Amino acid sequence: MSRLEAKKPSLCKSEPLTSDTVRATLSVLKGVLTSCYGPSGRLKQLHNGLGGYVCTTSQSSALLSNLSVTHPALKILTTSVQNHVSCFSDCGLFTAILCCNLIENAQKTDLTPTTVIKLNKHLLSLCTNYLKSEACGCRIPVDFSSTQILLCLVRSILRSKPACMLIRKEVDHISALILRAFLLTIPENTEDHIILGKSIIVPLKGQKVTDSTVLPGILIEMSEVQLMRMLPIKKSSALKVALFCTSLSGDFSDTGEGTLVVSYRMSLENAALDQLLNLGRQLISDHVDLVLCQKVIHPSLKQFLSIHHVIAIDRVGVALMEPLSKVTGTQPIGSIGSISPSSYGIVKELCTAKFGSKHFFHLIPNEATICSLLLCNRNDTAWDELKLTCQTALHVLQLTIKEPWALLGGGCTETHLAAFIRYKARNEPESILTDDGCTQAELQLVAEAFCSALLSLAGSLEHDGGEIVTDIKYGHFWSIQGDCPSVVNWPDLLSRCGCGLYSSQEELSWSFLRSSCHPFAPQSCLPHETVGPDSNLTLDCLTAKLSGLQVAVETANLILDLSYVIEDKN
Amino acid sequence: MAAAGSVKVALQVVEVLETIVSRCVGPEGRQVLCTKPTGEVMLSRDGGRLLGALHIEHPIARIVLTCVSSHLKKTGDGAKTFIIFLCHLLRGLHAISEKEKNSLISDNFQTHERHWKNCCQWKCISQALLMFQTQILDCIMDQYLSRHFLSIFSSSAKERTLCRSSLELLLEAYFCGRVGRNNHRFISQLMCDYFFKCMTCTSETEVFELVDDCFIELNVGVTGLPVSDSRIIDGLLLHRDFSIYCPVDGDIRMVIVTEIIQPLFSTSGSEFILSSEAQFQTSQFWIMERTKAIMKHLHSQNVKLLLSSVKQPDLVIYYAGLSGISVVECLSSEEVSLIQRIIGISPFVLPEASSWYEISNTALVKFCKPFILRSKRYVHLGLISTCTFIPHCIVLCGPVQGLVEQHESALHGAFKMLRQLFKDLDLNYVIQASDQNDTSSPLIHKYSRESSQLPEISNHSIQRPYQDIVVKNGGELEKTQAYLKVYSNLVISSRGLETHIPCSTLKLTPTNTFQIDDTLKCLSPEKNRIIDDYELELLVDNNLTGNPTTENTRIEISYENLQVTKIDRTGSKLPVRYKSLDLCTSQSYHSSSVPAGSVLPVGGNFEILLHYYLLNYAKTCQPSEEAMVSTLIANALLGIPKILFKAKKVNYSFPQMYLRTLHALQTNQLMVSSQEGLESVIGKYQLLTSVLQCLTKILTIDLVINIKRQPQKIYDQDSEDEL
Repeated sequence: MSRLEAKKPSLCKSEPLTSDTVRATLSVLKGVLTSCYGPSGRLKQLHNGLGGYVCTTSQSSALLSNLSVTHPALKILTTSVQNHVSCFSDCGLFTAILCCNLIENAQKTDLTPTTVIKLNKHLLSLCTNYLKSEACGCRIPVDFSSTQILLCLVRSILRSKPACMLIRKEVDHISALILRAFLLTIPENTEDHIILGKSIIVPLKGQKVTDSTVLPGILIEMSEVQLMRMLPIKKSSALKVALFCTSLSGDFSDTGEGTLVVSYRMSLENAALDQLLNLGRQLISDHVDLVLCQKVIHPSLKQFLSIHHVIAIDRVGVALMEPLSKVTGTQPIGSIGSISPSSYGIVKELCTAKFGSKHFFHLIPNEATICSLLLCNRNDTAWDELKLTCQTALHVLQLTIKEPWALLGGGCTETHLAAFIRYKARNEPESILTDDGCTQAELQLVAEAFCSALLSLAGSLEHDGGEIVTDIKYGHFWSIQGDCPSVVNWPDLLSRCGCGLYSSQEELSWSFLRSSCHPFAPQSCLPHETVGPDSNLTLDCLTAKLSGLQVAVETANLILDLSYVIEDKN
Repeated sequence: MAAAGSVKVALQVVEVLETIVSRCVGPEGRQVLCTKPTGEVMLSRDGGRLLGALHIEHPIARIVLTCVSSHLKKTGDGAKTFIIFLCHLLRGLHAISEKEKNSLISDNFQTHERHWKNCCQWKCISQALLMFQTQILDCIMDQYLSRHFLSIFSSSAKERTLCRSSLELLLEAYFCGRVGRNNHRFISQLMCDYFFKCMTCTSETEVFELVDDCFIELNVGVTGLPVSDSRIIDGLLLHRDFSIYCPVDGDIRMVIVTEIIQPLFSTSGSEFILSSEAQFQTSQFWIMERTKAIMKHLHSQNVKLLLSSVKQPDLVIYYAGLSGISVVECLSSEEVSLIQRIIGISPFVLPEASSWYEISNTALVKFCKPFILRSKRYVHLGLISTCTFIPHCIVLCGPVQGLVEQHESALHGAFKMLRQLFKDLDLNYVIQASDQNDTSSPLIHKYSRESSQLPEISNHSIQRPYQDIVVKNGGELEKTQAYLKVYSNLVISSRGLETHIPCSTLKLTPTNTFQIDDTLKCLSPEKNRIIDDYELELLVDNNLTGNPTTENTRIEISYENLQVTKIDRTGSKLPVRYKSLDLCTSQSYHSSSVPAGSVLPVGGNFEILLHYYLLNYAKTCQPSEEAMVSTLIANALLGIPKILFKAKKVNYSFPQMYLRTLHALQTNQLMVSSQEGLESVIGKYQLLTSVLQCLTKILTIDLVINIKRQPQKIYDQDSEDEL
C-alpha cells in the first residue's frame, strides 16, 4: 500500500547572511566557541533537558556534536569543523573561530561577496605557501632524536584542554605517558614504509591521574570471579595461542535456503557438542595453552579445556580482534573442523593484573607495536575529556611523524602571519593579484579583514581582561596581565611571548593588537638555542593547523557565496 | 476548480523561477543551500537540483519542471538557461498580446468568448513555434551560424585529435556555472587530467559512456579535507575493506564469484533430511573438506584475490587466508559489472565435484592493496584493462559533504555534456526557392530524422536530368496506400497550418487535368534499385497551366505544390528532388550536420549570433507569423547574455559587447570575445529546441482543471519522480 503525503512547498530565502537573526546567531555561536579557546578558556556544561549525562567540556568535537544548530548556513560551518576534527583531531576551535571571524569581517566591508571570496582565496594561498616554505618564521623542525619538542607538543595540547582538570605535575606525567605509548607503536625494524601500531586506551575511572600507566601488549578486562576460577599459570615460557573468530557455542547457522528435516530421536545438540569436543581434543594435542574467542565458547568446551589446563577467554569482541591477531601473530580461525597448525600464534607471557578495582589479563607479546594506555581520572566527565585529549595527542604525533614540523603556538603563529600578510598586501600587491578583476584598494580592504580575523582569533586566547601586544620585530604575541596597576611601565611586565621562544630582554618595540600599526616584515630568524633542555615551548601541529586554516577559509567562502537558502519543510 | 491557462499566468510563474535561477547563472552566479527534511544540507548551483528542491505545486510550473528534467536527462546541462530563455519568450508573447488588446479595445466580445479566441490565437502561435523549431532553426544553424563554429579537435586532415587546451577552456566554462567560484579552475584541471589519463589513443566516446554510466563507482568522496587535496588515483578504489588481506608479490590473478563458495546443506526448493548424528557430522566434514579443496584449487591456479558479490561464511574466509588468497566481499552489482566491463571476465562458476579443470575466468591484476583515506579503508585494485578505458579513480575532498556532492554531480554532468558533444548533430531541411512569384522568401521544410541514423544518406540524393526518368505516374501513384500530405505554399507562409488529408486510394489524373506529364521528374523504386528500400518522397508540382492566380477558388486545385509522401516499411527516407520547369521552383533538400566537437566562445556568443541571423531572416519574411516568431525568439535570446554581463564593468557591459559583436558581423570581421572559454554548440541547440517544445506545450493549454481526488492507479510515474 502506498502512502500519500502532501508535500509542502519549500521555503526560499534570499541573501541569508544579511538577515539580523542570522548575524545574531552567528555571533552567539562565535561567543560560545571563543570563550572555550585556549588554556584559560572557560568550560561549557552541556546537559540535555530530556535526560542523559552532563558533559563538561571545552573541546570543539564534544561541543559541536552536542549543540544543535538550526540555521542551515551555520550547520555548514559546524559540520565542516566536525569533519576537520575527525580528520585531524586538533585545531577544531581554531578553524571554527577563524571561520566565524572571516564571515563577520567580510560583511563589515562593503565589497561584493565575489570580490571577497576571490581575494580570500589568494590570501589563503599566500599563507599556505609561506607556512610550507623554508623561509617561514613561525615553524620549527621537529627533532626525533630528542623527546624535547615532542613533549612540548603533547604538553601544549594537554594544557589547552582545561576540562581535563589536570595540575601541572599531572600534565607532565600524562604527556610522558602519551609519548611513551606513541613510541611503543613504532616498529623497531623498519622497512621502506612504517606501519604504525595502535595504542588502546583502557578506562579506569575514579583513580588518581598519576596512577595512569602504559603497558606493552593487550589488557583484557575480566571479572574477579572469572579470574579466581582460572588456574594459576604455571608455564613461564611462551604460550601457544589459538584465536577464533567463529562462534564456539555449537550453534548451527548457514543451512541454506531449503528446508532441513531432522528426524525424531536425533539430537543436533549432541552432534554439535561432539564436534566441539573434537576440536578441544585437537587443540590439546596441538599443545595450545590459550584459547581466545571473539564470540561465545560453549560451557562444556570451556570446562573440557580447563581440565586440560588450557585457558579459555571468550567474548573478546570484534574491536580487539585485530590487535589480538597482531600481538599474537595468529590468523583468526573461522573453522571448527581441522585447524591448520600455521594459524596458531605465540604470546611471550600471560599474567593477571589488578589496577584499581578492575582485574585484567595481560598479554605480553614478544615484539609487537600494540600497547595499552591505562588512563585514570577522577570522574566520568573529566575522564572523557582526558581520553579525547589523549587521542588527539596521539593523532598529532602520528601526523608529525609524517610532516616533521611544528608551528609556534600560543597565538604567535596568528600574529606573525597577520603581520606577514599586511606587509605583503601593502608592499607587493601585484604578487597577490595574479589575475584580473580586483583592484589594489579591494585587496587592502580584504587583507585587513583577513588579518583582523587572525588577530582577533589570537586575541581570544586572553580571557581574563588582559591586554595583548605584538612586537614589531618578530610579530609575536605577548599578553599583559589584566589586573596589574596601570601606573607600572607595562613592558616590564612582559617576560615571554605566547609560544615561549622570545623573551623581552631584547630591545623590542610594541604595538597594541587592537590598534593598527605600520606594516612591517616580520623577521624569520630563529634563535640558535631554540630548544634547550629546559625550554618550554608552546607548539601546534603543522598539518592540522594548515588544514584548519584552509578549511576555515574555504568554508567561510562557501557561506559568503550563498545567495539562497531553500528549506524543505516536510 | 478550473483556472484559465494563459500566457500571463505562465509568465508570472516562470518569472518567479527566473529570479531564483538568474542569481546562480554564469561565472558570477552564487551558491544555493538546500536543506532536506532529514536535516541534510546540500549545496548546489545546478539548476535541476535547485528547481527540484523547491517542491513547486503550481501546475504550469510543474509542466516547466518536467520539461527541464527531461532536457537535463538528455544533456546534463542548461537548466538555468532554459528557465531564463523561456521567461523571455513568454515576456515577448505577453507584450505582443498586450499590444493587440490595446488595438482591439473597442471590441465588444464577452470576456469568456475572448478567452476562447485568445486560446485559439495561442494555438496558432504555438504551431508557428513548432514549425520554426522543426524547419527554420536547422537552416539558420547550417547556413549562417556554422561558419562561426570552432572545433575542440585540432584539425589535421584525416584523424581528429582532441586538443587539450580547447578541452580545458570548454570544461572551465562549464564548471564556472556549476561549482563554487574558487574551485572551477581546479576541478576542470582535475577532470581534464582524469580524462586524458583514462583515455587511450582514440576512445573518447567509449570512455565518456563508461564514465557516465559508472561514475558513482569511479569516485570517492572525503570530507574534512580542503578541496585542493582532491586527486586522481591510478587503478580502481572499491568502497570496501578486505575481509582478509594476504600481501603477495609477483603477479596476482583474481576471480569474481557471485555465490557462496561453501556448499550449504540445502538449496532453495530442496529438502535435506538428517537422520543420524553421524550423518550430520560427515556432511559437515564434507562441507569443510570441499571448501578447503576449492580454495586449494584456486590457489593452485595462482589465484590470489577473490572478489565476491555476496557475504561469504567465516569458513571460506579462513581457508582463503590459509591459501594466501585475499577476499573482498559484498561488492555491489554495479561495482561487479564495472570490473567486468573493464577486464572482460565472467564470474567464476564452482566446478563440479570431480572435475578440476583449469579456471579460465581469471584476470591478471597489477596490484591489490589496502588504501586508507581519512582512516577509512578501501581496496585499491590495479586492473589491467582489456577495453579502451584505463581505470582511474577520482578522490574528491571538501570540507562538507554538500560540497563534495556538488563537485561529484558537476563532474558527472560534464561527462554527460562531453558525451553529447562528441556526437554529430544532423540538420535536415529543404529550401524551396521559388522565383516565379514575388514571394522572395524561401520555404524551408525539414524532414525530421533521427540524428544518428544514416548520416550519409544525403550523399545519395542524386539529381538526374528529368528526361531520363519520365514516369507515367498515374499507375504508380494509385498504389500508394499511405497518406497524402498537402502543403500549400501560401498557407504555410501565412498561417503555418498543416493539413493532412488521409487518402486510401489516391487518384490523380495528372495528364488530363494538370498537364504536367512532361515536367515531372521522379525516381521510382523499380527504376532505381539502389534506393529501393527507402521511402520516396514524391513532390509533385501541380501547376495549373497559365492560371497561377486561382488560389481563392476551390481548394483542391488551389495548391501550388502537392506533396505526396509514401511511407515504406523500413522507415528510412530518401529525398528526391523535383524541378518543375514551368515554375522554376526549386526545392532542394539539404542535409548537413553540426560536426562533433563544435564549440563557440562563451558569454552569449551563440545567442547573439542567432539573434542577429534570425533578425536578418525575419526581415526577408513577409510580415507574417513566421517573421513575428523569428523576431520573438531573436529578442528572447538576448536575455541570457544580458544576465551574464550584468555584473561586468563599464567596458564589458552588455550594450557595449552587443554593439561590438553586431558591428563585427556586419563588416564580416572576426568576432572578438571578451572571455576565454568555450561551450558546446550542440548543447545550446538542444536547449533551444527543448525550450520551444516546452513553450508550445504551455501555449496549447487553455484550461487547468484541479482535481482533488486520490490519484488513480494508472499514473505517469516518471513525470514527478524525476525532479
